[in-house]
Amino acid sequence: MPNSISLSLGPISAAVPGALYQQIVAAVKREVGAGRLAPGSALPSFRVLAEELLVSVITVKRAYEELEREGIIYRRQGLGTFVAEFGHDRTRAAHRAAAAQAITHAIQAGREAGMTDRELLQTFKDALKPSQSRDVSQRRAG
Amino acid sequence: MREPAITLQQLRRNVSASFSLGPLSLEIPRGSVCALVGPNGAGKTTLLNLLIGTGAVDAGCASVLGEDVATAAVEIKRHTALVSPDISYHAWGSVGRAIDFVSGFYPDWDSQRCEQLLARLGLRRQERIDTLSFGARVKLSLVLALARDAQLLLLDEPSIGLDPLGRQQLFTELMAFMQNEAHTIVISSHQLAELERYADYVTILNQGQMVACGATPDLLSRYAELDVLLDRDEITDASGLHLLSWDGKRARVLLDRYALASTGSEDLGHLQIVGERSLTLEELLVALVKSNSGIRWRPRMGLT
Repeated sequence: MPNSISLSLGPISAAVPGALYQQIVAAVKREVGAGRLAPGSALPSFRVLAEELLVSVITVKRAYEELEREGIIYRRQGLGTFVAEFGHDRTRAAHRAAAAQAITHAIQAGREAGMTDRELLQTFKDALKPSQSRDVSQRRAG
Repeated sequence: MREPAITLQQLRRNVSASFSLGPLSLEIPRGSVCALVGPNGAGKTTLLNLLIGTGAVDAGCASVLGEDVATAAVEIKRHTALVSPDISYHAWGSVGRAIDFVSGFYPDWDSQRCEQLLARLGLRRQERIDTLSFGARVKLSLVLALARDAQLLLLDEPSIGLDPLGRQQLFTELMAFMQNEAHTIVISSHQLAELERYADYVTILNQGQMVACGATPDLLSRYAELDVLLDRDEITDASGLHLLSWDGKRARVLLDRYALASTGSEDLGHLQIVGERSLTLEELLVALVKSNSGIRWRPRMGLT
């Protein structure tokens, strides 16, 4: 477990889109996907995390239930809640699927706007540019 | 299963010729935070008063921590604490004297915890009560409640008059209290954004009646607001759909997914839906109270 779970998973805020429990789900997935919460590491109990994040116990419970359904975490009666062995792969796969879907939506929107495939490709390339230049600078530094 | 912290069975309390509470049936599980919400005069304080043993039960029954409120008032008070800005400690002059007086009533008073609470909430024993801000008086009420080993905490509008920092201190203390699985909180408030965050269960009261009740996330996902286009002026009523506003061709409709599912027709294909959005607890309360009050003109909804 990281030193401060409220800093790694929080803040859970009304200013962020999505229900409070979905924010916890997203935060745990983010930490697991990035490897900051390693497989097998323990998560706090409902009540402890509720106190840390200042949300209701039922909100944490709902978040854990969803994460368990998705196979990111698992619960052992009397022992606690842990990050699943393949939670990392599952989160990454889910993030990739979400990215692919977002691109599909973008293509749909482009076609509806009457853009050609060529134009779409150019738009996509333009959008990639900032991260491309970052790759280049990293290579230079290396 | 453990017995619930609070059980109401067909509870009824006749307050005046024009207002009565109930009949209410409700169970509040131990280990949970339950919010009582509703417009002014909905019966929230009347219900809290009944639970702490002030006010007679006219019909039905209410039990608190396994004891009947009508026969075990002393036993219930032993394990229950009330936080309210209405409690006045003026007669004792200073914070310290109020604490010394109140603590004498309770064998389970924890002086050490009391001093910690005073320090965390920024109250000093020598402060004069008549110069305390409204918020500081609420904090004093909270200290007097939490320095005991109460199982049940009842809070009547506790965040009134507290600044944002004070409200966070209040809920930090409440969530710390909830670390014990046997502890239960019932809180009445109009600060619905706060309750949406901290309450496990919400009970919505209006005119002495229960309008809705459930686990907070369930209640919020149960309802949605639909933006609907109508192709004719005439519309007829439908179960699970409450008209909120309407101007002939366009309407806002409160969708109750449970009620709709119970009719067996979950299909909304007959409605031309422009948009659907979830509601905050505050928006849901307003929508439910409006659609429930019966004073609104309700055109027939053409869903056939």
